Amino acid sequence: MPVIASPTHYLFQIVREGITFLACTQVEMPPLMAIEFLCRVADVLSGYLGGLNEDLVKDNFVIVYELLDEMIDNGFPLTTEPNILREMIAPPNIVSKMLSVVTGNSSNMSDTLPGATASCVPWRTTDVKYANNEVYVDLVEEMDAIINRDGVLVKCEIYGEVQVNSLLSGLPDLTLSFANPSILDDVRFHPCVRFRPWESHQILSFVPPDGQFKLMSYRVKKLKSTPIYVKPQLTSNDGTCRISVMVGIRNDPGKTIDSITLQFQLPPCVLSADLTANHGAVDILSNKMCSWSIGRIPKDKAPSLTGTMVLETGLERLHVFPTFQLGFRIMGVALSGLQIDKLDLKNVPSRLYKGFRALTRAGEYEVRS
Amino acid sequence: MFPHFGATSDTLSKASTMVFRIGTDAHLYDDPEDVNIAPLLDSRFDSEKCEALKRLLALIAQGFDVSNFFPQVVKNVASQSLEVKKLVYLYLLHYAEKRPNEALLSINCFQKDLGDPNPLVRAWALRTMAGIRLHVIASLVLVAVGKCARDPSVYVRKCAANALPKLHDLHLEEHTSAIEEIIGILLNDHSPGVVGAAASAFASVCPDNFSLIGRNYRKLCHILPDVEEWGQIILIGILLHYVIARHGLVKESIMFSLHGKEKSHSEKDDSDGNFALDDSGDISMVNVSELANVVSRSYIEGLDEYITRSSYSNRVSSDVNGTQFTSGKSNDDVKILLQCTSPLLWSHNSAVVLAAAGIHWIMAPREDVKRIVKPLLFVLRSSNASKYVVLCNIQVFSKAMPNLFVPHYEDFFVCSSDSYQVKALKLEILSSIVTESSITSIFKEFQDYIRDPDRRFAADTVAAIGLCARRLPKMANTCGERLLALTRKEFLSSDGGSANEDASVLIQAIMSIKSIIKQDPASHETVIIQLVHRLDSIKVPAARAMVIWMVGEYSSLGEIIPKMVATVFKYLAWCFTREALETKLQILNTSIKVLSCAKGEDLWTFKRLSSYLIELAECDLNYDVRDRARFFKKIFSHNFGSQGLEEETNSLPQMKDLSHVLAECFFRKQTKAAASEPINDRFYLPGSLSQIVLHAAPGYEPLPKPCSLPGDELIHFSNSNKGTTALGEELTYSNSSGTDDPDTSGSLDEESASNYDSQQSVTGSSDSGGNDDSASEGNFNIDPLIQISDVGNASNNQNGASQSDSTDLGDLMSKRVLESWLDEQPGSSNPSTSVQSQVRRSSARISIGNIGRQVKAKSHTLLDPANGNGLKVDYSFSSEISTISPLLVCLEVFFQNCSSESMLDITLVGDESNKAFDSADQALAMAESDVPTLVPMEKITSLEPGQIRNRILQVRFHHHLLPLKLTLSCNGKKLPVKLWPDIGYFIKPLPMDMETSIDKESRLPGMFEYTRSCTFTDHIGELSKDKSESLLVKDKFLVICESLALKMLSNANVVLVSVDMPVAADLDDASGLRLRFSSEILSTSITCLITITVEGKCSEPLNVSVKVNCEETVFGLNLLNRIVNFLAEPSSNHL
Repeated sequence: MPVIASPTHYLFQIVREGITFLACTQVEMPPLMAIEFLCRVADVLSGYLGGLNEDLVKDNFVIVYELLDEMIDNGFPLTTEPNILREMIAPPNIVSKMLSVVTGNSSNMSDTLPGATASCVPWRTTDVKYANNEVYVDLVEEMDAIINRDGVLVKCEIYGEVQVNSLLSGLPDLTLSFANPSILDDVRFHPCVRFRPWESHQILSFVPPDGQFKLMSYRVKKLKSTPIYVKPQLTSNDGTCRISVMVGIRNDPGKTIDSITLQFQLPPCVLSADLTANHGAVDILSNKMCSWSIGRIPKDKAPSLTGTMVLETGLERLHVFPTFQLGFRIMGVALSGLQIDKLDLKNVPSRLYKGFRALTRAGEYEVRS
Repeated sequence: MFPHFGATSDTLSKASTMVFRIGTDAHLYDDPEDVNIAPLLDSRFDSEKCEALKRLLALIAQGFDVSNFFPQVVKNVASQSLEVKKLVYLYLLHYAEKRPNEALLSINCFQKDLGDPNPLVRAWALRTMAGIRLHVIASLVLVAVGKCARDPSVYVRKCAANALPKLHDLHLEEHTSAIEEIIGILLNDHSPGVVGAAASAFASVCPDNFSLIGRNYRKLCHILPDVEEWGQIILIGILLHYVIARHGLVKESIMFSLHGKEKSHSEKDDSDGNFALDDSGDISMVNVSELANVVSRSYIEGLDEYITRSSYSNRVSSDVNGTQFTSGKSNDDVKILLQCTSPLLWSHNSAVVLAAAGIHWIMAPREDVKRIVKPLLFVLRSSNASKYVVLCNIQVFSKAMPNLFVPHYEDFFVCSSDSYQVKALKLEILSSIVTESSITSIFKEFQDYIRDPDRRFAADTVAAIGLCARRLPKMANTCGERLLALTRKEFLSSDGGSANEDASVLIQAIMSIKSIIKQDPASHETVIIQLVHRLDSIKVPAARAMVIWMVGEYSSLGEIIPKMVATVFKYLAWCFTREALETKLQILNTSIKVLSCAKGEDLWTFKRLSSYLIELAECDLNYDVRDRARFFKKIFSHNFGSQGLEEETNSLPQMKDLSHVLAECFFRKQTKAAASEPINDRFYLPGSLSQIVLHAAPGYEPLPKPCSLPGDELIHFSNSNKGTTALGEELTYSNSSGTDDPDTSGSLDEESASNYDSQQSVTGSSDSGGNDDSASEGNFNIDPLIQISDVGNASNNQNGASQSDSTDLGDLMSKRVLESWLDEQPGSSNPSTSVQSQVRRSSARISIGNIGRQVKAKSHTLLDPANGNGLKVDYSFSSEISTISPLLVCLEVFFQNCSSESMLDITLVGDESNKAFDSADQALAMAESDVPTLVPMEKITSLEPGQIRNRILQVRFHHHLLPLKLTLSCNGKKLPVKLWPDIGYFIKPLPMDMETSIDKESRLPGMFEYTRSCTFTDHIGELSKDKSESLLVKDKFLVICESLALKMLSNANVVLVSVDMPVAADLDDASGLRLRFSSEILSTSITCLITITVEGKCSEPLNVSVKVNCEETVFGLNLLNRIVNFLAEPSSNHL
C-alpha cells in the first residue's frame, strides 16, 4: 500500500531497489505530493551515489543527510532541482575521494549560493562554459503491449521520452520541432518548456538545463503491430503440464533486435519444472520466476522453450496460467514513428554539434497464456 | 538454485564496494566512536571538527543519543566553515527541543549570521533559528523572518516563507497578525519561487484569510505556471478555495447538479451528446446523476453537515440557492484560473497534474472537463505508488461521470506487474465505465483475469462481471451465462489443493449471478434451473447456501421451477445432517418460504418435509440451528405436523393469517427493500489524502461556502493592489484611509510610517555635521525652549557614502547592497529615489528643558494591607544607580502602617528558593555569585499607625521578566512577596549628544534594530485641558513632546537626547515628530538607543513607532515591548 493510515499518522511509501522511502504526516496534504517528493529524493540520491543500495547510503550518510536537509524544510520541499543541488553539495566522485584521501580535507559543501536559485531559469546553472558545444537528443521509447490468450493484440502503445544532453555555453535558447507531432496522444514537459509555442504550433521552445535531462515524455496509443511474437502453449493432464513457447520476429523494424528476454512466474500450484531451450539460457529463480534470455534471434532457427511441469498432488490440470513478460531493445529506431524535424538554437556560438539517436525497448509487454 | 554462485556474486559486489568506499565517510559510519569525539570538537581545525560532527551524525543515524555533546557542538556554531555550520545545524535541530537552554546559547550567533553578506549563511541561520522552536525566542525569530522576507536573495526570502509555519506552530497569539502580514508581503513577491513557498505558508498558517489572496489574485494566477512544482500544488488549492468563496460555483460545471436536478438533467443530456457512447439505460443514468450530486455536495459540506444529511437522507433541498452560482463563461476570475491551470496538466510532476485536474473537475464547464482525462491517464505510467493514488481519484470521477472515461477503457486493463490494490481499482473503474460497445473486449479481458494465479484478483473479476451486468441490463443474459460457464469450470478444480482460494471465486460467481437474477428474475429462469441442477456438485457451503436461498426465493417463479422444488426439497432434507452450519440455516429458512407459498398437493409433502427438518434441526449440535428450529416451530406450529391440520386451520384462522403475514415479513420483503438504497458515501476533494484513506484526515478543509466572501472586499483589494505598485501612491492611499477595512489600512499606515522613519534617520546621519546649529526659517512661534535646525533636502549620494564609510571598503559593493537592505523597512520593496524625495519633509530640532521635575516614578504594590495585617508596602523603581554592583537595581520601598497598632521589626530579605536557579542562568549565576540577590536593608524597628517610612532597596533580578521572591517579616511573621522587575530600570541614562547618538544608531542596524508601533493618547487629555483651563495656549507639538517624554522618563531610566520636529505647513499634523532617548544596560554597559517617531494629527490619537537599537537582542526586544506597552496604556495619574 503506498498510503497507510495508522491511528496517529498517515504514511506514504515508495520502494526503490529494495530501499523503502517513507514519509509521514498527521494532517491532510496531497498524497501525490509526498509520493512524488519521495520519488524525487530517490532519483537525486541514486544520481548522487551512482545507484541505490544500503551500503551506498551508509557510506555516504553525511551527503544523504545534507541532501535531505536541503531538499526539505519543515515538511515542505525546498530545493529539489538536481542541478542546483549539485552546485550546493558536491556529489562524491573519484577525484574528490582521492583528493580527500590525500589532503584529508573532505568538504563537499559549496561556499556560495548557486546563482540559479535567483535566476528566472532556476534549472540552469549560470556561467556554463564548454570548449565544444554539443547537444544530443535521444528518443527513448518503451513499448507497452498486452496480447491476450487468443493471441490478439489487445493494447499496444508507446511511452516515449525525449532525453536531451545539453553541453552548451551561456544561456542557449532551443526550439525543437517534430515532423509528425499529430501522432502524439498526450505529453508531459520538463518545467523549462514554454507552454505557449506548444499550444499554438506544437513546437518545443526551452532554455535547457545543463547536462542530461528529460525534456518531454509522450504517449502514442493504438499501435497496430509489435516487432516480436511470442506463442506460448500449455497443455496439462494427469498432474503434469507441457509447456512450449516460441519466439520470433513478426515485423522486422529494420534494425537488429537484441537483449530479448522472456520472464514468467510459474503458477503456485507447480511443484517443479524442467525447462530447456534450443537457444539462449533458462534460469529458474527461487521465487519460481523463470527467465529465458534469448539475446538476438538467430537467422537459422526460431528460438523455442519446451519443458514439463509437475503439478501439486491432487491437481489434475492447470487452471491458472502464467503471464509472459517480454523484454527487448532496438537501437536506432523509434517504433512510434515519431520523427524530429529540426533543432534550432539561439544564443549559441556557431560551432555546434547536434546529435540525434533513437532507441526502443519493451516496457510492460505482456503475453498471456 | 545456485547458492554458491549467489554467494560469490555477493562477495564480489562487497569487494567492489570496498574499492568505492575509499574516500567516503564509510569508516566514520562503521565505527563512529573509535576516537574520542570531545577533543575533536574543540579542535582548532575545521577538518577535525567536521570529522567529529560526522561521527556524531553517524551515531544519530544509528539511533544513539548523543545529546550530551550539545554544549560543545553549539559552541561551533560560530565557525566560519560552511560545512561545519551545516553539520552543527543538523545536530542542533535534532536535539534543540530536548536541550532548550543550551540551544539558546546559539541565538546570538544566528543573529550575527543573519547579517552575513553570504545569502546561504543568512538562509541557513534563519532556517535553523526558526527550526529550534522555542517560545522564548519566538519574537526574535519573527523579527528575523520579517527582515529576511525583504532580503535581496530569492533563496533567503524562500526560507523566510518556510520559517513562518514553524513560528505558527508555536501557537503564540500575539504573533499571528505579524505572521499573516509577512505572508501577504511574500505572496506579493515578484519571484515565483518565493510565491510558491509563501503559498505553502499561507495554507498552513491562515488558509481562511482570503483577503491576502484577493489582493493578488490575478497576479497569483499569472505567476502560477512559473512557480516551482511543489508550490503549484498548494497554490492551486488555495486559488480554488478563494474563487469558490468569492464567486461561488460555476453554473456549467458538474457541481451544478447539486440542486435543480431536473434542470441539470436536461443540460446533462445536452452535453452527453458530445460523447460518442451513451446508451447506458435509464436506471444507471439516474444513479449516476444522483452520485454526481452526492459527490459535489460532499465537496462543500463539512463533517457536521454530512452527519445531519445522512440522518435525514431524503432531504434533497439544500440551503444553497441559485445566486451562489456564477457563470464560467462570463466570470473573468474563473476563466483566468482555468486558463492558467490548464498548461499544468502537462506538468511532469504527477501531483501537479492531479491538482490541476481537480480544479478543472470542479470549476470547468462540463464540456471542458474531458481535457483532464488524457493527462490523468498519462500519470498512470509514472511510479506504482502514484498510480494507486491517481486511480483512487479516477474511480470517483468515473463513477460521477462515466462518459469521461468510456473511450479510454483500454488504459484500465490490468498488467501483471500491478499491485493487488491497483488491480482491484482498475476492475472497479472498468465495471463503472463499461458500455455496450466495449463490453465484448472488456469481457475478453475479464476471462483472462479469471485465469490469473492471484485468486483474490480472480474473485474480484467475477464480482466485476456482476457489476457490469447491473450497469448494462441488456447484457445481463450474456454475463449470467458467462458466469455459469465459469461455475462449471470451477467445480472441476474445486477438489484441488488450492480449493480455499478457488472457493472464493466460486462464491463470488454465485453472488454475481444472484445479483443479476435479482434485477429481473423472470428472464433468468433457466439460469436458476441450471444452478439448482448442479447443486449436488457445488461443495462450498457459502455457495451452496446461496443456491438454496435462490430455491426458496424463486420457488414460485415461472413454469418449471415450482415443479422442481419438491424434488430439490427432498434432496435437501436427505443431506441436511451433512451440511455446514451456514447451509443448514439456509435450508431451514427456505423450507418456511416454500411452505408459505406452496399450494395444493405439494403442500402436504412440504409440511411433512418441514416438520422432519425441524425435528432434525432441534437435535443439531449447533445451538444456532437449534434456536432457529425452535423459533420456527413456535411461530409456524400450525403449518407443521401431519395430523390435526384441518381443525387447527379452522379453529384459528387469524393465527394462520398472522403466520402468513409473518412469513411474508421475514422472507418476502427482503428482496424489495434492497432495490434503491440512498447513496450515503462521503467523497472528499480530488487529490486529497482524505479521499485515499476515506475519512476526513485532520486538517481536511472542504470547499468554502460559495460566495461566503463579501463582495465589497474586492473593491478594497483592487484599491490596495494599485496602492502597492508605487510607494508614493501607497502613502497617499494610507493617508486617506477613511473608507477601508480597518485592519489592512492600519497595517499599511504602520508600514508607511516606519518607512518614513528610516529615511529620516538616514538623512539625519548624513547631514548632522553641517546643519546642527544653523538657524531656521520655521513658520511657527519660537519658544525659548526650542532650537530649530533645518535638516531637510539631503542628497542620496551623500547618504550612501556616509553609510559605506563605516564598512570595509574591500567588498563595498556587496556590503552596500546588504546594508541598504538591512536598513530597509516594510513597504519599500522597490524604493525609487524620486518617490522618496517627494515624501521627505523639512524638520526642526528642539530640546525640552526642565522636564525632569515633572517626572514621577510609577508606584507598584508589593503588599496589600488586606494581606499584610494592615501593613501596606509600595515600591517604585528609582533612577539612582547602585554603587555596589552594576547588577543591582535600586528601588524605593514605602512602608505604611494602615492598622491601628504599631508594627515592629519590619524587614525584607531574599527568599531561599532564589538560590535554585534554573539551569539557563546557572553559568551566569556562578560567575557572579559574589553579588547578593538583595542588599540587606536597614531594619525599620517600629512603624506607628499611619506613619510612612521609605527605604532604598538594591536588588539583583535574575531575569528581567520574572519576579523575584522576597520574604517580608513584620512583628515576627513572615510574608512571601513578589517583586516584579521593570525592564525600564535595568538601564541607566547615558547622556550623549545628538551626533554620537545618530552615529551609534547607524552602527546598530539590521538585526540589532527592532521596531513596533502603538497608539498614544496621553496628549489628548492634555490638549483639551489646555483649551478649557489655561488662557495661554501652548503649542500642540510641545504638548505632545512633553507628554511623550514625560511618559518615557516616568517609566524608564533613560535620558532624552533630542527632539526633531517637522516643519510643515499643516500645524495640526504631528507626523515626523521624533524623540531620541539613550541609555545603557546596567549590567553590561551595552548602549541602548530608543527612538520614537510620531505619525498622525495632533488632536487625534497618534500612531507612535518605537525603535530600539541594542546589541543585546533579547533584552532589546523585551525593552521595546515594555515601552510600547506603557506608551499605549492611557496615563491614570494625570499631571
